[in-house]
Amino acid sequence: MVYSMSQKEEFEVVNRVDPAFKRAVSGMHGAEKISLCFQCGTCTAGCPISRFNDFYNPRRIARMIQLGLKDRLLSNDALWLCTTCYTCIDNCPQGVEMAYIIRALRNITVEERKVMPTIYKQMLSNILKTGYVYVISELRIKRRIQHGLPPLPKSDSKQIAKLFDATHISDILERAETFDRVD
Amino acid sequence: MAEYLIFLGCVIPYRLQSYEISARRILEAFDVKLVEMPSFNCCGYPVDPIDHELASLLAARNLCLAEDLEMDILTLCNGCFSMLNKTNRMLKEDRGYREKINKALGKIGMEFKGSIEVKHLVHVLIEDIGLEEIKKAIKRPLKNIQVAQHSGCHLIRPAKYASRGGNGGMEMLKELIRATGAECLEYEDEDECCGNPIIGVNEEIPLQLAREKLKHVRAVGAQALITVCPFCHIMYDLNQSRIERKFGLKLEIPVLHYPQLLGLAMGLQPDELALNELRVRPDELLKRIIG
Amino acid sequence: MRESESEDIRIGVFVCHCGLNIAGVVDVEEVTEYAKSLPNVVFATHNRYTCSDPGQEEIRKAIKEHKLNRVVIAACSPRMHEFTFRRTVSEAGLNPYLLEMANIREHCSWCHPSRPKEATEKAKDLVKMAVAKARLLRPLEPIEVPVTNKALVLGGGIAGISAALDLAEMGFKVYLVEKKESIGGHMAQLDKTFPTLDCSICIEGPKMVDAARHPNIEIIAYADLLSVEGYIGNFKVRIRKNPRYVIEENCTGCGECRDVCPIEYPNEWDMNLGVRKAISVPFDQAVPLVYTINRDYCIECYKCVEACGERQAIDFSQQPEEIELEVGAIIVATGYDIYLPEEENIYGYGKYSNVITSLEFERLILAAGPTGGHVIRASDGERPRVVAFIQCVGSRDINKYPYCSGFCCMYTLKHAIQLKEHYGDDIEVYIFYMDIRSNFKGYEEFYARAREMGVNFIRGRVSKITETPEKNLIIHAEDTLLGEPIELEAEMVVLATAAIPAKGADEVARLLNITRGSDGFFMESHPKLKPIDTPVDGIFLAGACQGPKDIPYSVSQGSGAAARAATILSKPSVKIEPIIAVVDPEKCRNVRVKCGICASKCPYGAIVVEKGKPAEVRAAMCHGCGTCVAECPADAITQMHFTDAQIFAQIRAALEENPERKILGFCCNWCSYAGADLAGTSRYEYPPNLRIIRVMCSGRVDRDFVLEAFRRGAGMVLIGACHLPYDCHYIDGNWKMTERMKALAKMLQKLGLTPERFRVEYISAAEGVKFANVIREMAEKLEEIGEERIKAENAKLKPILDRMLSRKGM
Repeated sequence: MVYSMSQKEEFEVVNRVDPAFKRAVSGMHGAEKISLCFQCGTCTAGCPISRFNDFYNPRRIARMIQLGLKDRLLSNDALWLCTTCYTCIDNCPQGVEMAYIIRALRNITVEERKVMPTIYKQMLSNILKTGYVYVISELRIKRRIQHGLPPLPKSDSKQIAKLFDATHISDILERAETFDRVD
Repeated sequence: MAEYLIFLGCVIPYRLQSYEISARRILEAFDVKLVEMPSFNCCGYPVDPIDHELASLLAARNLCLAEDLEMDILTLCNGCFSMLNKTNRMLKEDRGYREKINKALGKIGMEFKGSIEVKHLVHVLIEDIGLEEIKKAIKRPLKNIQVAQHSGCHLIRPAKYASRGGNGGMEMLKELIRATGAECLEYEDEDECCGNPIIGVNEEIPLQLAREKLKHVRAVGAQALITVCPFCHIMYDLNQSRIERKFGLKLEIPVLHYPQLLGLAMGLQPDELALNELRVRPDELLKRIIG
Repeated sequence: MRESESEDIRIGVFVCHCGLNIAGVVDVEEVTEYAKSLPNVVFATHNRYTCSDPGQEEIRKAIKEHKLNRVVIAACSPRMHEFTFRRTVSEAGLNPYLLEMANIREHCSWCHPSRPKEATEKAKDLVKMAVAKARLLRPLEPIEVPVTNKALVLGGGIAGISAALDLAEMGFKVYLVEKKESIGGHMAQLDKTFPTLDCSICIEGPKMVDAARHPNIEIIAYADLLSVEGYIGNFKVRIRKNPRYVIEENCTGCGECRDVCPIEYPNEWDMNLGVRKAISVPFDQAVPLVYTINRDYCIECYKCVEACGERQAIDFSQQPEEIELEVGAIIVATGYDIYLPEEENIYGYGKYSNVITSLEFERLILAAGPTGGHVIRASDGERPRVVAFIQCVGSRDINKYPYCSGFCCMYTLKHAIQLKEHYGDDIEVYIFYMDIRSNFKGYEEFYARAREMGVNFIRGRVSKITETPEKNLIIHAEDTLLGEPIELEAEMVVLATAAIPAKGADEVARLLNITRGSDGFFMESHPKLKPIDTPVDGIFLAGACQGPKDIPYSVSQGSGAAARAATILSKPSVKIEPIIAVVDPEKCRNVRVKCGICASKCPYGAIVVEKGKPAEVRAAMCHGCGTCVAECPADAITQMHFTDAQIFAQIRAALEENPERKILGFCCNWCSYAGADLAGTSRYEYPPNLRIIRVMCSGRVDRDFVLEAFRRGAGMVLIGACHLPYDCHYIDGNWKMTERMKALAKMLQKLGLTPERFRVEYISAAEGVKFANVIREMAEKLEEIGEERIKAENAKLKPILDRMLSRKGM
């Protein structure tokens, strides 16, 4: 119902947005307070990343959610630049947890667009297989023993697979497209 | 003395044994008994951006294992601490979310009860051992040593979960450094992020952030940077030569895990603390300390 | 004056050291010796602290011992201790107005510390000027007027009701006059109130009934104000009670007449969205509960007469009735109106049926309103799914109403919250705003609540609205937070239009002689310290007639106004400072020709001019600015304690020696004299060739004072006034002076005076720096022009000025 005109001219259909998007986001864990944002900009001012990337401006991202510019938000890889330093969360005067809201946007992108950075696909696959994010080499394990360190605890891959299935991420993980870099 | 279930996480065994070795030495010296996890999975942090619920489940599974053993968890990694602690607190406080997570945990026969605590090495040192005991253990006070600290985001933020009854933030690590006799120098942007979490999608920005941090540390004349997180350590130690090459500058700042600094002050030998595993050689520093 | 001339004038001069504050710079002994040489001075002394107990005792002793009948104290600023010393001399049996002060601290020692010799010379001049004035001082008695301990409250909205109830509770009789059929005002039209969402009429209704039942309150509703005469404590007010064609005493409010009445007409109370009968009350809770027949619509079928039966309350022969009230104080609480942008079709209002004002929305969402509380579109009776509220319609717009209407943000938040409460996610609510103003208790939280409930806020001013064939409305705006233009299709648009001065506010202002600001709302006497007073003593303001106000603010101000009025009503009489203007009937031109200049220039309407009679100053209404005195073409008016003779004496004393080297300043008591005081207090040093004469208002500065100064050879003349446009303590005396001096400056320039030699400056009490800078500049210029040229100019001017001033017998 709200159009952004500059976009409308170019993508008449693409940018037709539903006001329900704000509600959908605010229904996600940690993102409940998005509607309380009154755009003071303290999140952007304290963000270590926004100076490196024009799109990655937490205040502006919050605004786009409020206006429901879903397509523009979900189609921009810059969402993956949040380092989760949580400065925005601690600084917000309204208790809006921007870092969690960015997380919610990433989750929505993965679920709806079946796309994620390559590194995450690797890490998740590793966890599914070994319990660990990384494949720890035999050499490393030997060196632990040399140093007198206790052996590493083992994973329970059956249980982990069940957890992956519980949230249906396994299906997405298999099919998800990936990209390597965000500029 | 205290007993903890140690949660190593993934990065430490994969890359940073020096942190584990030095931490275990210190804790041993203070009679903190460490029990190994009976079974392991990642804390969940790297999964959070993809699937928050799965991340919570992975964290919760670790919490449930600790609950079964009736032991609190000790982490060395900020990321693991943040993920496990936050999930623990959220599940304790948010009934709706707890029910949702417990429903899924039921599939592997587990239930989150909320009976344990999660602590970082820093909290154990300050709260269980105490600064006074640490000071008593100092055999080689680091009198003429000046260092800077980098506590790391996930130890100090969000304050809602990271603060510990008015005691929290960067002051914890600063106190621990001062306890060794060393001076802890303040520098610009002390609480700025290391950038490591996004290095998998963009190297440029984290290297820039690390360069700025190291320049600030250098500007105040610190002889070393002290960390308590493997991610931050990687950014400043492992990547330091890359930063020097990329930006054409000389930094040469040794980056020590806090237990390494404390161990030296306690009179332990450098090889006991795996100081030789550091990429930036701390020779100058060792010369000053040991002679 | 003749009396005082024959009197043996015996002046005592007391020079204060003020520790080293004065004595550290000025040679006080030399000044004392000098004072002794002045005519009529029979005693002079100096002491360390004149204001201390021993200092005051010395004055009292000297008055008795030396039979002093005038006292001059050379010390600090009269703004500091004039009151103290007036009491001192009156304790010794002297009239307090026989005291004059020479300001040798703030205006001398403190601002010339590095030039002690010249400072001492200046101090001598200041003493000489004070003695010159003292010689002509006359005893004055405060004017005392009796007080009628009843009050009139104009306007029966929540502010007026609050004021009336408070005064009534204090035991004063109150007439509560209301223009409309019922008291209650705008608050009675509202559904809920922010931020608590109390039902408006449920909380106001009991107050209205309390007012009706209170034995000390007489409600006079459906009445107009005709005239107001008199002054503080003694107002005579004429009121016209309009005919209801229903006898108030007989009407029981049963409503049987309404039930049988066949005629309906639009109900103004419902913003004309609903209808009422030709005989009816505007709303069920009306107070007084008396029915009224609208004769414009009544077809005189007399069914109501039949229905009323033996109660015999209906009387078609009723006539307007005039009554006269006598009151001691008046509280104006005439409220505000809502701007209806009909003529201009702003945002389609009046053209698109689904664009309405907030007050109309208020009646729509009210359960007892014309739609039974259902928010529906006028075009199709459907409930809108998307409602857009537009803020600042007419407000914050220099082309319409430049001010912020204050309460619109809050009531719009209330409307948005109400819609979300009623319809939840089944309605989208948008608010287009420029800034959200939510300051006051609980308001910011209310704003947060609206956001929490999912109200969509769009920061941007709407450029235009167009209508679709479905009668939906396309809103064009920029989302300034995103920095992109956006469009929204809404099914209903609600305009938060400006709150504007009530219709008839100009008439009320005229009748009461109170002023209105550039925004049209009534002006308070002082924006900070007298926010409830008007410049007319005994008349106070309450509620939105002074500027847009919400309910708690209006109630507070109503109570405040009641307390202010009680300061008068609680006393049997009030005292008035006697420094007022007095007309000499023998000199007044109005006896012979139509004049009335004084009345037209008086900021307070205190002068009555009737044909063929001398003008008359209503003492109790005169504030003593002296503007009329300066304006009177026949010099027929005198301001007590600031007479022409006294000021001329000061001018001559100041310019007796080396006049061409001096700057003569006339400074108004409240701003520029205080500014000069501040320059001293702040120790801003400036050249010592300034001599200040204090007047209460720059409006008092007569053209002749300036002419006399130049005739006496003054180097420069400065007039210091309060800042334009609104700073004047006497409403607009500074404007009167400005007009007068513009013409004079032109004339002097034509006569060959270097323009820089005559200067008008507006200097506030806070501008000590500016004062010092102005004097520094003038002194430099004086130097630059040079004594020779000044003397030459003055010589050329003198014969002309002699001639011009000859009518004064000078």
